[in-house]
Amino acid sequence: MIYKIISKGALADLFAGLQETYDEVVGPQERGPAFVFDKLSSVDEVRLNYPSTILPPTKYFLPADERLFRFDRSTGDVYDSEPAQGTRAILGMHPCDINAVLMMDEIFMGDYVDPYYETARKSSFIIGVSCMPEPGHLCAAFGADEIHRGFDLFLTDLGDRYFVSCRSVPASELMDSYVRSCEPSAEDINDFQERTKRFKEAFAPMPKMDQLPLLYGAKYFDEELWERIGDDCLSCGACASVCPCCYCFDVRDKVDPGGKTGMRHRIWDSCLKSEHAEVAHGHNFRPTRASRVRYRFFHKFVGNFSRTGKMLCVGCSRCGKACKVGINPGSVIEALQKEYLPDTAGVEVFKGGGAS
Amino acid sequence: MNYLNDMSEINLSLQDRTNAYRQLGANPFRPWPARITSITQLTPKEKLFELRLIDEKVREAFTFTAGQFVELSIFGVGEAPISISSAPSKQGFIELCIREVGTVTAAIHRMQCGDVVGLRGPFGRGFPFEDMRGQDILLVAGGLGIAPLKSLINHIHDERHDFGKVTILLGARNPSEILFRHEFDMWKHREDFDLIMTVDDAVDPVNPDVTWDGEVGLVTRLFDRLDIEPAHTFGVICGPPVMYPFVVEEMRKKQLKVDRIFVSIERRMKCGIGMCNHCAVGHQYTCIEGPVFSYWDAINLQEAI
Ligand SMILES: Cc1cc2nc3c(=O)[nH]c(=O)nc-3n(C[C@H](O)[C@H](O)[C@H](O)COP(=O)(O)OP(=O)(O)OC[C@H]3O[C@@H](n4cnc5c(N)ncnc54)[C@H](O)[C@@H]3O)c2cc1C
Ligand code: SF4
Ligand code: SF4
Repeated sequence: MIYKIISKGALADLFAGLQETYDEVVGPQERGPAFVFDKLSSVDEVRLNYPSTILPPTKYFLPADERLFRFDRSTGDVYDSEPAQGTRAILGMHPCDINAVLMMDEIFMGDYVDPYYETARKSSFIIGVSCMPEPGHLCAAFGADEIHRGFDLFLTDLGDRYFVSCRSVPASELMDSYVRSCEPSAEDINDFQERTKRFKEAFAPMPKMDQLPLLYGAKYFDEELWERIGDDCLSCGACASVCPCCYCFDVRDKVDPGGKTGMRHRIWDSCLKSEHAEVAHGHNFRPTRASRVRYRFFHKFVGNFSRTGKMLCVGCSRCGKACKVGINPGSVIEALQKEYLPDTAGVEVFKGGGAS
Repeated sequence: MNYLNDMSEINLSLQDRTNAYRQLGANPFRPWPARITSITQLTPKEKLFELRLIDEKVREAFTFTAGQFVELSIFGVGEAPISISSAPSKQGFIELCIREVGTVTAAIHRMQCGDVVGLRGPFGRGFPFEDMRGQDILLVAGGLGIAPLKSLINHIHDERHDFGKVTILLGARNPSEILFRHEFDMWKHREDFDLIMTVDDAVDPVNPDVTWDGEVGLVTRLFDRLDIEPAHTFGVICGPPVMYPFVVEEMRKKQLKVDRIFVSIERRMKCGIGMCNHCAVGHQYTCIEGPVFSYWDAINLQEAI
């Protein structure tokens, strides 16, 4: 990795370079009281010191509604199955969201490769940016507060300047051609370390992660416990739609007017919906709200952990903010830990209610 | 070979598996067109479809093991996972036994010979056929569960000299619901297969005048008369979810070990390639590590059985 120092004013040079090099530049912008990732037409629109966005930037790799291909119903011909082309620079991704994308890579570019995901992923240029923990952020519990790969450039905010980690060849070419930079001095490195220390110290106490998968397995069939944790769930799926680590999808065919041709597409889905595990003759493997909430967090804390060694949660707190009834990873972990460690301190997690 | 589910072992067997998509470097979401070459009405609700992949290259690359499944596409309607019923030894054609239960299955039931559907696959892991060679086999099928087992039975049939005693217990609600009845009726007199058919209710609602001369009662009742050598026997079960615990219990009473019992399970599926997450059981996917699991694996997966 190459390290550089740039002034805050040089962000405009970087932005100009991105605009010339990529078909589209997106980044966090203000929308009323919230922040969203959207297309940037000028550097003035971007807000790099944002707390979190409503939807994670994963939407650029797994769109809410994506065309897979078109078909002719009578001949069975399949066409337009090539992934959409076009390059994109994503400016301002937080470490948690980059960590989430790295986990999605293992799912969509693992045993089988999803060409739509892979193409979107390979044509993206990622610029990460440092953040400060907000109340409810649990990223440190999942080790998602740090990021060492998965980006092209990473900007660490040192007040009047950025400490830039430059990881890829295109990133170093972009820096050389567009951005005035200098080598980090001893003072810069010192400030970088100070900043990291302040960041680590700013976290509220994290939930106890001790033996979580084992604990989950042991308590899996404790119906009464799960009723308590999950019975309030509204099965609305809001948590899954804002989660950077949720990826369930449904596949649907849409027929064009005239009925001869049509399009197959995939849309976001959620394991909290009642029909998610339903099969023919109405048999449902997860018929109750509690059983679906239990499954959602099982998949995150145990299922994926057993497969890849990683928990499918980066502690971004989006789901907790989206949930009207106060279900979130912190509250689930706390409830589980309490079964064995009754004195588990209550962790500061969102207890539901409106977006921030 | 050890069937304990060590992930690295599973990944290895996945790598080994010849898969048409990998061989051809194709987009695994893109179905291959296949033409319906024959349709047989098996029961009032089930038809057997014989399909032929139109592209020759695809046809050659499409090899599978008994127990694997395809995603059947009816363009404009959607997709459904369906087990392959024909034996891998049947070259160039694929048979699917389909019950009409919903949109996709109803759509193919309305189709004619010559119509085109889409196929993706083959997906999942099938039965451990190679490990089964030289052994006695006890197959138990309930209702539509015979669909994937038919492929295995046909494959065993084709290589019959490689197997010991083969026993097939077939259960259905009533005589009209027994799948492949004509074929199996002829098998009853064969000496190389012990086939016992049983129904819950002997009255045939389609042909009430025809009397049923087979067994009446649940398949589990047939176990008393079986003579099993547990160390040399593989048990195979496929049927409705309620059936598994009871049949496994009977097999366990016969001293069959949990890693010598194989079950094929059903889940909702949207992709067949481990991405849509609908078919997750415990920490595994029915479409990748399944649909065939050893019973040992299945009891280690929360909510599998
Ligand atoms: C590995 C595997 C092998 C199978 N083999 C066969 C077979 O050989 N023959 C056969 O007739 N059926 C088989 N099935 C079941 C078959 O896939 C479902 O009955 C089928 O998906 C229903 O599709 P549909 O569009 O007709 O029904 P829908 O209109 O989608 O729904 C009808 C009912 O089926 C449920 N359902 C929807 N999608 C699925 C799904 N993907 N899997 C299960 N249930 C679903 C719905 O919740 C609803 O209750 C198999 C399923 C799996 C997972
Ligand atoms: S589960 Fe909640 S906190 Fe964890 S990554 Fe998803 S949205 Fe963020
Ligand atoms: S947001 Fe809350 S209520 Fe809605 S599905 Fe998720 S856990 Fe249930």
